[in-house]
Amino acid sequence: MVGQRKIRLYVTVGQRMLRDSLLFQLLLNDDVELVGESETGVDTLNRLSATRPGVLLIEENLQDNDGLTIAESALSLQPSLSVLLISDTPVSTGRLAIYLEAGIKAVVSKHQPVQELMKTLLYIRNGQVYVSARNTAADDTPTALAAYRALSGREREVAHLMAGRVPVRDIAEQLGVSCKTVHSYKDRIFVKLGFERLPELILFMHRHQHGATS
Amino acid sequence: MTISGTPAVILRYHHEQDREQFEDLFGKDFTIHPFRSDQAALDYLSQTSGSDMATRASNLTAIFVLSPHPDNYRESALLSEARDQHPHLLKILLGQAIELDLLVSLLDQQLIDRCFEQPANPDLVRSHVLMASLTHREAPHTRTKEPAGGAHMPAVLIVDDEPAATKYLSRQLELLQDEFRVICAQSAEEALRCVQDEAGAVAVVMTDQRMPGMHGKELLSELKQSHPTIVRILTSAWGEVDVALGAVNEGQIFRYRQKPWQAQELLRLFRTALVHHRQLVAQRDYSRTHADQQFAELRQQRYGRLLTRLSSLNERTISESEIAAFLDLLLTIQTLPANSSHLRASRETTLEQQLEQDFGHLVHQQLEALEPGGLSHVTRQDIESSFAAVTNNEPGSAPTADTPLARLCQSLTTLLAASGLHTSQIRISHSGNMLAITTDSPLRMYSHLLAPLTRISRPLLEQQCALFMVYASTRLLGGHVDASGGEQSFRLTLNFPSRHRAA
Repeated sequence: MVGQRKIRLYVTVGQRMLRDSLLFQLLLNDDVELVGESETGVDTLNRLSATRPGVLLIEENLQDNDGLTIAESALSLQPSLSVLLISDTPVSTGRLAIYLEAGIKAVVSKHQPVQELMKTLLYIRNGQVYVSARNTAADDTPTALAAYRALSGREREVAHLMAGRVPVRDIAEQLGVSCKTVHSYKDRIFVKLGFERLPELILFMHRHQHGATS
Repeated sequence: MTISGTPAVILRYHHEQDREQFEDLFGKDFTIHPFRSDQAALDYLSQTSGSDMATRASNLTAIFVLSPHPDNYRESALLSEARDQHPHLLKILLGQAIELDLLVSLLDQQLIDRCFEQPANPDLVRSHVLMASLTHREAPHTRTKEPAGGAHMPAVLIVDDEPAATKYLSRQLELLQDEFRVICAQSAEEALRCVQDEAGAVAVVMTDQRMPGMHGKELLSELKQSHPTIVRILTSAWGEVDVALGAVNEGQIFRYRQKPWQAQELLRLFRTALVHHRQLVAQRDYSRTHADQQFAELRQQRYGRLLTRLSSLNERTISESEIAAFLDLLLTIQTLPANSSHLRASRETTLEQQLEQDFGHLVHQQLEALEPGGLSHVTRQDIESSFAAVTNNEPGSAPTADTPLARLCQSLTTLLAASGLHTSQIRISHSGNMLAITTDSPLRMYSHLLAPLTRISRPLLEQQCALFMVYASTRLLGGHVDASGGEQSFRLTLNFPSRHRAA
């Protein structure tokens, strides 16, 4: 398989806290190279030719200008740019059609899980349009929950301890197995649940305490 | 034309198990019409849709062929029927293993649009179908212009890092015909520069896949975005089927050719590609002209509605001719040209109504809040202290007294912010008995009330209202506005009678 080029990412998000949170998440992926960030649309357009991003992640609602208008201008300056629009509210099918015809590659709403944003970013990296399933994308918990219920008893036990931030060494001791075994449980749990890092597991276990333990 | 609702797909399958799996994966997203034989699928196609219009009305979007022996579809009557009679249907082949020469052959006959090896990523398969159901797939445009001769002779660009091979081929091709020029580039980067330099002359690009730097497939993906009318052909000596599949699904390439090249065969291919290029150009020109004409009509209607609405608001503050001057300034500010997304937003959503209502409402509020009268003359000091008040005013706190001057400064600040500028870029100057306010650099305006719009946003309304209030308050202060539009920008000079000199 041919190695993929890095994603040259530009992020335009008004609020600092949201921008930081997204970036912390996105930059965990080795393929993502941050080439610029802005809080306003005008600044984004001003810096576009100097930074030459491949993907522009932009909020629909910005302080200074309309995010979609800014995205359309950015596309006219750099037609090979892939734009991922972040909307405040879920977008109807009719509106999505308008956005796609305007050249936007994908729309993710702030109501969707951050994993959906990451997945979408990877799909549109080479200029592809990505439209997610309308019926399932808004909430991925049923699948994760089903995956959790399919874990073995031992795997669930390890998942619980890990979510409680119990060190691997202590888990091994408690269960009477080697650290290596705990690590392999850990890998299997992450693969099966589709998680990449501990905080995702902690959050999942916290949100589904009842569903997960039943 | 339906834009909402679930897309319908035809599924031609061979094993019950495959159908069940397909229904599990996509049952929620598509309405699936499954058929166990080609004939049954063909019957369905011909009865549901005597015409392509009917296909679109029933929201039939794609035809899937899910076969353990995809090779049997090399000469498929079902796929040919879909290609010839239902050009809007997306033809998708799903197979366990796809041989490269099958893919090449299917592509040559235009029997498929997408092709996946199993297990395919359901996210991507779904996305292709949803995308096709949401947006218009334009039917091939038949009225094409005759190829222009002379200086406008089209060019075929051949990209390969082995100059010996391309040089020989290009010489052969030049000798065989005089319909197109042949240009060579040794890398994807050089190819992109060629396309730029040739300014529209490059009609076809054939690129090798494996090159140092950017690969052929990436080059074609980029060209698809930046120059959609250039016909894309991928070639390789390596026969990597995954690369070819990716190029079909992502780059929507026209053809795939295995090396070594045969000049005679490529000559035929390039001739077909040039015909296809002329169709694409005709289609693009048609949709541009069409969008321009359609939008010109919409804009005229919008102009009329806005003029009526605004004139009814507050006659004592601003006259109809002032409102017309404001709207006419907007007409001189050039924004991006209209396309199908704008037409759709204007016609299929409440955008036009909402624009008139929301803008009218905002202007009404601000006009009502204005305290008329007050200053009969404006001084530099008044303006400076008024700007200082706006700057010092905490966002969200109660506005300062809404005098025309305060409103003027507030509105100018909004316009500056939308342009990425600051109040320090305001210039105040005297000339004779007149005082003029202007800005160092032009103000930006990416979109406006009379521009093609896809949505009504708060920043748009606020910026437009600010410009309107600049007109209204300047007039209340006895001044007049000089303004001229530019490319996504405008210049503004506000002139006021001043007592500065007289004092």
